[in-house]
Amino acid sequence: MATVGERVSGLDSLRGTTPAKPHDARAIAALAANPGCARRALMDGAGVDKDAAARHLGFPAPFGQSPFAITRGNAFEALVKADGCAELLRLLRDVLRLPIDEVAYQDVQNVGAHLRHAHTRTLFDRAARGEQGTLYDHPLLSLKIAGHTAFLEPDVVAFQHGGRFHIVEIKSFAVIDGQADPASVSAAARQAAVYVLALRTLLEELGHDPLLVAHDVVLVCPENFANRPMATLVDVRRQLAVLKRQLARMTSIDRLLAELPEGVSFDLLPGEDGAPTRSAEALAEAIQQVSARYAPDCLSTCDLCFFCRDEARRDGASDQLGRQVRDELGGVATVEEALALADGLREPAPGQEEIARLLRDAERLRRECLA
Amino acid sequence: MSDDLDALERRIDLLRAQVRTAARAREAALARELRGQLRKAERAWDTLVSAPPQVAARPGEQEGRVAVPVRERVHRALTLLGVPAAGRLVVSVHDAFFAEPLRSSQLTTLRRDEERTFRRSPYARPHYVCAALTDRLTPARGLLAVSTWPQERRVVGPLSPRVDFLVATVQVAACAGRLDDPSPAARRLLARMARNVPDAGSGFGEPDPERVAVAARAELAVHLEADTRQRAELAQRAAAQLDEVACLFGAATLSDVARKGACA
Amino acid sequence: MSILTSLARLRAIKEGVAQPIATVRHCHLGRRPMVFVPLRLSGEAAAPLAVMLGTDRDAPELLVVAQPRNRDLRFAFTAELARVLLPYVESFLGQSETVEKKNADPYQRALDAPQLLLPNPSGVAFTRLLGRSTRFRRPDGPYPVPAEVPLLGRWLTYFAERAAHPGSSLTLAATEELGRHWASGQSGLEDANLAALLGWISPPPGRTGPQAAQEAEDPLIWPPAGPATDPGFDAEVLAPAIESGTVERVTEALRTQLAPTWRLMWQAVDLLRALPEGASVATRWESDRGSFSMMAEQVAEGAPPQARRDGAVAAASRLSRMERAQAAFEVQRAYDDPLVMAEYRLTGEAFAGEVIETDPEHTEGEGRSRKLRPVVLVKTDDPVRLSPGATLGTPDRRGQAAQLVDVSDGLVTLKITKGMGRGRTPAPGSVPEPGERVCYTSLTDDFQGSAALPDRDATPWTHGGPPQEYVPNDEDAQEEWA
Ligand code: SF4
Repeated sequence: MATVGERVSGLDSLRGTTPAKPHDARAIAALAANPGCARRALMDGAGVDKDAAARHLGFPAPFGQSPFAITRGNAFEALVKADGCAELLRLLRDVLRLPIDEVAYQDVQNVGAHLRHAHTRTLFDRAARGEQGTLYDHPLLSLKIAGHTAFLEPDVVAFQHGGRFHIVEIKSFAVIDGQADPASVSAAARQAAVYVLALRTLLEELGHDPLLVAHDVVLVCPENFANRPMATLVDVRRQLAVLKRQLARMTSIDRLLAELPEGVSFDLLPGEDGAPTRSAEALAEAIQQVSARYAPDCLSTCDLCFFCRDEARRDGASDQLGRQVRDELGGVATVEEALALADGLREPAPGQEEIARLLRDAERLRRECLA
Repeated sequence: MSDDLDALERRIDLLRAQVRTAARAREAALARELRGQLRKAERAWDTLVSAPPQVAARPGEQEGRVAVPVRERVHRALTLLGVPAAGRLVVSVHDAFFAEPLRSSQLTTLRRDEERTFRRSPYARPHYVCAALTDRLTPARGLLAVSTWPQERRVVGPLSPRVDFLVATVQVAACAGRLDDPSPAARRLLARMARNVPDAGSGFGEPDPERVAVAARAELAVHLEADTRQRAELAQRAAAQLDEVACLFGAATLSDVARKGACA
Repeated sequence: MSILTSLARLRAIKEGVAQPIATVRHCHLGRRPMVFVPLRLSGEAAAPLAVMLGTDRDAPELLVVAQPRNRDLRFAFTAELARVLLPYVESFLGQSETVEKKNADPYQRALDAPQLLLPNPSGVAFTRLLGRSTRFRRPDGPYPVPAEVPLLGRWLTYFAERAAHPGSSLTLAATEELGRHWASGQSGLEDANLAALLGWISPPPGRTGPQAAQEAEDPLIWPPAGPATDPGFDAEVLAPAIESGTVERVTEALRTQLAPTWRLMWQAVDLLRALPEGASVATRWESDRGSFSMMAEQVAEGAPPQARRDGAVAAASRLSRMERAQAAFEVQRAYDDPLVMAEYRLTGEAFAGEVIETDPEHTEGEGRSRKLRPVVLVKTDDPVRLSPGATLGTPDRRGQAAQLVDVSDGLVTLKITKGMGRGRTPAPGSVPEPGERVCYTSLTDDFQGSAALPDRDATPWTHGGPPQEYVPNDEDAQEEWA
């Protein structure tokens, strides 16, 4: 097995001269979205800027955030933290039964960027030792992803004396009559799980019990149509388990790396102005050396989605229609093959007899009904 | 006008009852007819109630009056609060208790402008809008303070944000309590602050300023001693380590802290 | 998704154009549907930005909120919306029929009902929130709104809730209806894009389905069908327009985002209208009309707005209603449409074939209990998975019942047990002739009995006890709408 050092250098050479793209919590959370994809595992492991790569390949990712949404998010966070976190304290006193004297507030952002991580460590070390401290605004945590350090910034960490550290996530999607958009909630939970893991890792490094960090995170959202914040405790144990498993898998990157042909590189070869100078064809060819596992879900989770979808379409893969169809086809991998079975133009391979019969029957019925 | 409304309301109630009776008796035609009348009555009520009230022209406030400069408006609001505050709160307080408008966009460069003015000719003005200092003696993000306040008030320890919020609440409650008819902005501000103070009277209706102040003082008592001590220490450190500009506007970098200067 | 639909999707990829998965239209399409395309301000739950609506494809109305963060403008917008929508809704109240039913009070049912057509399910969800945010408002009190606003809120809520009712056509989402009738060569996720789905179904001349669909994904060519706007548009066009403070600029900017979808909506209407209507559609529309009339009556009688949440009994009865409606809808679709029935033939719950022999005067029993039981022998290629004794129905002769006697080697024997008349010989035409093609299925549409649920007043304490009558309070009316 390769040592960590070798692995990192192997991965780094995959990225080449392009600067590594730091992971944020969202990106780390998204790692768990398509765990079976070797292409993604390698590119993320190497810190490749997939967004830039996709743009260069001519398949820019369909993601973007509206300035209105960003403004709204910032305004809501500011409101929750206004006046010495007055709203937040009210909510925490309610959901965590925070005692009245627990109000000490540390704005970690008051410290210069380069010192913030060290300052965060000091503050949490002191808190775990019993020194006064309750609210930590924008601490800077870190997590190692395949040899690279990713820096993470939770909105707030709340510490309750004699109790536990709680991650506080402030999100501006509304909870209306007790209901919120489930996709938004689970995205928030996945993201919070990344913070929980990072904070646990930090405490462990400092020699404290990692379980001082609660697996219940405090999700703060606007209630109904007003801006008034409300808080809910969200259990992220499941998300944590998925995340840990996925990060553990990232270490099996050695194997993926070993399987790569000599000289494969995802380098964009940025020129003086940072613009890629490598030909898009060469890059595409290199990327295609690593197998992907496209599914329509990629369209909302991975920057390379349009590239991989195009590939799946050109290969005539049945994956492009989604897992449901693929499962229905019971392992018939391509459109051509499935249609040939349906039309009786192809002998079913061993094990395909049942699906072949179904497809032939389906074809017969469609013809009959549409005649 | 309200007589008409009363009459209409009585009629609407009556019609509703009749509609129900008719529906129960399955007199569809009658029910329909009555429903029509009900509709009309409701419409009439709506028009009457939503007729624009006779707006009395505001006395010519805007005309010909020299506007108070932004820095003075901010100073006024801060003085009312008596503690360092973020721009948002300054704006809300100004809206609540003073006539001219203050927009938060007007505050963005204020602290920097004040610092420049001060550096050009120190103490040429009776007061400046300055920064509050963190426990690292750097300017605290977003907080505004008044230069004439004692240094202890212009530093913030870990408990100070809460303490200052509670003090501000007491002040706002006091101001609102003195007014016979506080402005809607003042009521809103007080309600917002009261919501975040335990036992300040929550739920429905307007908070009682008296009760809000009592509740805020009660929580204040829990934190005040520790906060005062921490602030005093910080103030001492500031006095020992900062020059007079930095005492007001904060040490920009760590080296500023090291450069010792006298503090006024 | 069934194997039949999956196959259609594969075929669509191969052919480069969507494939039909229905031979008739399974939804009602009114004479004057109201096309309703709302846009929401990004990052907000229910802040309306604009809506394009109307019943005339050549004359859409465009309503916008020129400054979406301004609360007063929002309510002015909803008042405007009410001005357009409420007269439309009320225009259906004029003509009604009296419905007499056994064991029930006779009631008035409108002869026709309004119909809202939205681009997609998220549009419906947004409509629900818009309804929720307006129905508790009051024309009086500390945050007064125009009187029509709460009324609009109740109707929007009603339409959005009705959309969740299986088989109802009062509120339709175009992508869902199109997806019920055609299979594209892309995934269900991608079908949520109205322009892409229509690209597959009817690509413009010179383009294949996939080409058209790919173009449709470019927000510059086909702006999203809402309610979310394109982030690029927000940043580059809308934000500066709002900043400029000129109403016309904002209006025109939003028109560019809505007009393409408006055209797509009518294209969808044309495509669906071109399909012949399924036989059960009118029956389902009848219950839509009934539901609409009931709602109108509640409004007229001054009932309070819909509660924020259902009580336990209301929720359970709603659920059971929906389940029954869903089951009935599925059976009706199969009976109406051989291509839907084919799904059940594939799984063996139905079969079709040719009648090769009959014994129309076959009887069973002796003496007084002697019964006419015509016997039919059907030859089928379908994989029948039904056991002897199974009760069968047939779309060819609705109301008739049969019983499966025997299946062997593609030959099915059945006897008709109901719907052939009371005489000693079967009524003419009630027994299929040899050579006729027939279809029988174990699916039957008898979901009439309603589940026994306790009365509201008898709600068990485990479910919160009898619910309080929902009375909206001041808080509902004054709820901030920041
Ligand atoms: S888009 Fe491509 S690289 Fe990304 S997860 Fe999907 S298949 Fe893997």
